[in-house]
Amino acid sequence: MRSDVRTTEEVESFLRIRGLTKAFPGVRALDDVDLDLKPGEVHVLIGENGAGKSTLMKLVAGLECPDSGEISKQGRVLRMRNPHDAIRLGIAMIHQELMPFRQMTVAENILIGQEPVQFGVWIDRKGLLQGAARVLGRLKCAISPERLLGELSLAEMQLVEIARALAQDADVIVMDEPTSSLSKTEVAALFEVIRDLQQRGATILYTSHKMEEVFEIGDRVTVLRDGRRVTTLKVDDASEEELIQAMVGRELTLVSSRAKGRGAGPLLTVHNLSRKGGFEKLSFQVNAGEILGFAGLMGAGRTAVVNALFGLEPADRGEIQIGDRRLRIRCPQDAIRHGIGLVSEDRRRLGLVPQMSVRSNLTLANLKAYSRRGFVDVAAESRITAEQVHSLGIKSAGQEQPVAFLSGGNQQKVVLSRMLLICPSVLLLDEPTRGIDVGAKSEIHGLIRKLASDGLGVLLVSSELPELLALSDRLLVMRNGRLVAELDPERTSQEEVMGHAMLR
Amino acid sequence: MSIRFQVGVKSVAAVGLSLLLLTGLACSSKEEAKPAEAVIGVSLLNLSSEFIVMISESMEQRAGELGVELIITDAQRNAEKQVQQVESFIAQGVDAIILNPCEVEGSSPAVARAHEAGIPIVNVNSETRIEPSAFVGSHDEESARLAMEFIVQRLGGNGNVVMMHGYMGQAAQIKRAQGAREVLEANPGIRLLSEQTAEWDRAKAMALMENWIQSYGDQINAVFAHNDEMGMGALIALEQAGLKDRIIVASVDAIADALGAVSEGRLDATVFQDSVGQGRTAVETALKLSRGEGCEPEVYIPFQLVTLENIDQFR
Amino acid sequence: MQPGQASRLAEWISRYGLLLALVLLAGLLSCLTPNFATAQNLLIVLRQISINGILAVGVTYVLLTGGVDLSLGSVVALTGVVAAGFAHPGEYPVILAVLVGILAGSGCGLVNGLIVTRGKVAPFIVTLGMLTVARGLALVVSGGRPVSNLSSSFTVLGGGAIIGIPIPVLILCVVAFASHVFLKRTRPGRYIYAVGGNEAAAYASGINVTAVKTLAYAVCGGLAGLAGIVLAARITTGQPNAGIAYELDAIAAAVIGGTSLSGGVGGIVGTLLGALLMGVLNNGLDLMNVSSYWQQIVKGLIIVGAVWFDQKGRR
Repeated sequence: MRSDVRTTEEVESFLRIRGLTKAFPGVRALDDVDLDLKPGEVHVLIGENGAGKSTLMKLVAGLECPDSGEISKQGRVLRMRNPHDAIRLGIAMIHQELMPFRQMTVAENILIGQEPVQFGVWIDRKGLLQGAARVLGRLKCAISPERLLGELSLAEMQLVEIARALAQDADVIVMDEPTSSLSKTEVAALFEVIRDLQQRGATILYTSHKMEEVFEIGDRVTVLRDGRRVTTLKVDDASEEELIQAMVGRELTLVSSRAKGRGAGPLLTVHNLSRKGGFEKLSFQVNAGEILGFAGLMGAGRTAVVNALFGLEPADRGEIQIGDRRLRIRCPQDAIRHGIGLVSEDRRRLGLVPQMSVRSNLTLANLKAYSRRGFVDVAAESRITAEQVHSLGIKSAGQEQPVAFLSGGNQQKVVLSRMLLICPSVLLLDEPTRGIDVGAKSEIHGLIRKLASDGLGVLLVSSELPELLALSDRLLVMRNGRLVAELDPERTSQEEVMGHAMLR
Repeated sequence: MSIRFQVGVKSVAAVGLSLLLLTGLACSSKEEAKPAEAVIGVSLLNLSSEFIVMISESMEQRAGELGVELIITDAQRNAEKQVQQVESFIAQGVDAIILNPCEVEGSSPAVARAHEAGIPIVNVNSETRIEPSAFVGSHDEESARLAMEFIVQRLGGNGNVVMMHGYMGQAAQIKRAQGAREVLEANPGIRLLSEQTAEWDRAKAMALMENWIQSYGDQINAVFAHNDEMGMGALIALEQAGLKDRIIVASVDAIADALGAVSEGRLDATVFQDSVGQGRTAVETALKLSRGEGCEPEVYIPFQLVTLENIDQFR
Repeated sequence: MQPGQASRLAEWISRYGLLLALVLLAGLLSCLTPNFATAQNLLIVLRQISINGILAVGVTYVLLTGGVDLSLGSVVALTGVVAAGFAHPGEYPVILAVLVGILAGSGCGLVNGLIVTRGKVAPFIVTLGMLTVARGLALVVSGGRPVSNLSSSFTVLGGGAIIGIPIPVLILCVVAFASHVFLKRTRPGRYIYAVGGNEAAAYASGINVTAVKTLAYAVCGGLAGLAGIVLAARITTGQPNAGIAYELDAIAAAVIGGTSLSGGVGGIVGTLLGALLMGVLNNGLDLMNVSSYWQQIVKGLIIVGAVWFDQKGRR
C-alpha cells in the first residue's frame, strides 16, 4: 500500500525536507524542493550557478529562514532562526568562503562558544587545548592546537572548520564546495576524513562543481535547476552525461539572429595576460562588431579578466592592445580614456550611487562632456539624459529620482547607459542580466546586439548558457583561470560547454 | 612571514622610533650639566593658560638665580595626571615639589604621596584639601571682593550688576563667586540682574554679553567677570553696542591685554594676581624646606586692584 | 484628511521639516521673551553663528565624502594665532594676514586628506591626531599666550559692519553661497557626492577618488582657517586655546541640517539651517535667563529632537 511505502521512506530519512521555498527580491531562489537525506550518506548537490544549491544549504544550516516548507530531523520538525539554533540541533556548515577567526588559535576556533570554564569565569586554557587535541585526534590530523589560525594553509583551515563541526557534536554536516581551494593531495586527505565521518554515522550534504567528486565521494546525487529539484539518483546508477543533461536541460528561450562576418579587424587584443590568483596567460581578440562570450563556472576567473581589462584589479603581466596601440591600464580612468567600458556584475557596489539622481548617475563617468569650465551644464545633461531614458527605455519617476528607488532592470540600464556615454569602442559586460526580470532581460539582449551591429566590440560574461549561446558570435570557455576551449555557438550545445567548464 | 613575527617587528620599530624621538627632545632641552643646589619637581595646572605660563617663567628665572634645577611638567588640567607626575618626582628622588593643583579634591593624593615620601611639597596659587608643607598664593575670594567693591563704590551703592562665571564647578569659579556674593550681601542697593557662565572663554563671553544687552539693555550698570578673558569679551561686545561709556566692567587676573585696556581707559578695573611673586616665592619656599629650614605655612601674596590711577605700577 | 493630502503633507514635512522646527522654536521664543524677535537681536544671532556656520560649511564637504574632521577647533586656534602674528598695526597689509591664516588652515586639511587617502588611515584617527598636533603648534607659535595688539583693519573683520550687516555674517554668506554653487553645480562638487555615495562605484566611473577626498579636506581646513581669522578678529586676539570642541558644534550643525555621517547626502542649505537652529537656541536660552546647567540639558534634547523630527519626515 502507498502509505506503507511512505513509512519506510520516513524511517530511512534522517533529514527530511519538504516544500522548501525561498525568494529573494526578483528571484525565486528555491521553489518547493523536497529532499531526503539517509543516515550516514554523502549526498551531493549539483547544478549550474544560481540553481539554488547555496540557498538550500543556507536554509539547512539556519543561515536563512525559508518562506515556506519545513525541515525535520529524525521525525522532528526543526525551527531554526539562526545558525546557533542549527548547531544546537546538530547541523553544522563548512562554508565555501571560510569564516574563521584568523587571530585566534586553532583550539579557540574549534571550541568557540563552548570553551571549558573554570570557576565560572576563566577560560581553562589547559582544558581548551586538551579538548581541541581530542577532536583533532579524531580527524587523525596533526595540527597543533596552539597555532594561530592565520598561519595555516587553506586546507588546514578547512580541517579546523570540520573539527569545529565535530566539537559541536554535529551529525549533519553541510559542506559548500569544500574543495574549491584545495590541492589534489589535500582533496584526497579531505575525502578520507569525510569517509571516516561517514563511518561514525554522520550525514553529509555536499555541493560541488566538479563532476569527478560526485562519483568519488557521493552515495547519491541531487540535481537542482532554477531553484527546483530535477532528479535524485544513486551515484552508481548515474552517468556524467545524464547529470549534465539534467543540469542544463532547459529549453532555449532565445532565438539567435546573428549577423555574422562583419570581418572588421581586431579591436581589442589581449596577449598572455596574467594576474596572480585570478587567471593565467590569456590570449584572445575582440573584433569590431562582434560579441565574444565567456563561459565558465563561478570562480573560473571570468570576472577577474574583465576587471583587469577595466583596471579595477590590474593584470600583473601580459599585453593589452586597442587597435595597434599597446596600453597600460592601471585604473578605471585609464580604461575609460581608451574607450573601454565595464558594466560590472556587482551593480550595487561598483555601479550605482544610490542616493544620486538618474541624471547624475548617467553622466558620472563622462561628466566632462557635459560641463563647461568646471561647471556642470545642467541643460546639456538633461538633454542627454532624456535621450538615453528614451532610447534605453529607462522607467523612472523623472530624471531627479534617486536610482535607489528604481527596479533592478532599470538600474542596470542606468549603469549600462553611463558606460555608453563614454563612447566606448569595447564594452565589457559582466552578468548584465543577473537579477533582472524577464522583460528587461530581453530588452537588454536586444540592446547588446544593437551595440555590436553599430560596430562596438562586446565581451560578454554570463552564467546563463542559453543567453551566451544565443548572443555570442564566438564563445570562450574558462576553467580555473585558463582558457580551455573556443567554440562556435551555432555548432555547440550547453552540454558541451558545461563539459569543458566542469573540472575533471 | 608569520603574522606574529610581523607584529613583533612593527612594535619593535615603533618603540625604537619613539625612544629616538624622546632622547632627541631630551638632549635639545638639557643644557650643560652643573651640579644643582637642589632639584625641584614642578607640576603645573595647564601651560596653555597665560597666567600659569607667567608663573612658570618667573619660577625658572628665580631657580636660575638660586642655582636650582627645575623639572617642569604640565598636568593639562588633569588631576590624575598630576598625581602621576608627583609620583614620578618621588621616584626620581627630587628634593622638593611645587604643586599648582588642578582640583581641590582630585589633586590631594599628590600631596599625600609627597608627605608619605617625606618630601616637602609647596602648593602654589590654589589649594588642595590635604594641607601641603607650605602654601604660596592668594585667596581667590579676595580678588572678587576687590573687584566687586570697586564696582559698588563706582555705582555709589546703587545699581544693577551682571556676573560672568568661569567654568562651573572649578575652584576659582566657586571662590570668586563666593567673594562677589559677600560684597553683594553687604550692599543691598546693588542688584544681581543675571549670572551665567561663559566658561573662561572670550568668544563665549561676547555672545553672552550681546544676549544680555538684548534682554536688559539699559538696566545693566556694571559687569563683573571671573577672569579677564571674559571681561575683555564683555568689553568688546559693549563697545560694539555703543554702551561702554555707561557700563562699568571689572574682572580678575591682570593679563597683558587687560592691563592695556585699563591704561587706554577702556576696562575699568582688573585685579592683579602677582604671578611673578607667586612663582618666585614658591621656588624660594621650596628651597628653604628642602634644606630643612623652617618657613611660614602660608605665604600670602596679596591681590592688588588695578585702575587707570595706578596702572603705571603694573606695566 | 484624504490620503492624497496626507502624503502631500508628509512630503512637505520631509522637505521642510527642519525649517518648520526652526520656525516653531522662533515662534515659541518670541512668545516667551519680547527681546527675541527684534531686528537687532536677529542680527546678533547671525553674528553669533557666523564662526560655527563657516566651520559647519567646511565640515559639510568632508562629511559628504563619508569622512569626518575632528581637528577643526584646534585648526581655528592655530590659524587665529598665525594670522594674528601678521596683524600687528603697521606691519603687513591685512590681506596678508588673511591669506596666511587660510593657507595654514588648508595646509592642515591637506595633510589630513593626504594621510586619509594615501595612507588609508581612518579619518577619525587622522583628524584626531591633527586635533592634538594643531593645538600643540598653536601653543608653540604663540608661546602659550595670546597674540594681541592687532590692527584695527584686522579686527574690523570680526567686529565691523557694512550697511548694518556684521562683516562675519557677510563672510558666512559668501562662503555658503560659493559652497552651495560649488557642490551643486561644478564637476568636483558632483564628484564629492558620488565619492561619498558609493566610493567604489565612483572609482569604477573613472573618478580620481584620492584627489576628490583630498580636496574636500583641504577646503574644510581652509574654511577653518577663515573661521580662525574671524574669531581672532572678533575677540581682538589670537588665542592658542580658543576653539576647543568647536568641531563638535560644526558637525552637529551639519548633521542637524540633514548631512549624513555616512556620506553622499546633504548640502549647504541644510547645514546653514542647522547652524541657525543652534544659534537661535543659544541666544533664546540666554535671553530667557535659563540657568547654565539647564541650558546644556535643553540644548542636547532639542538637537536630538530636531534630527529625530527630521528623520521621521524623511521616512
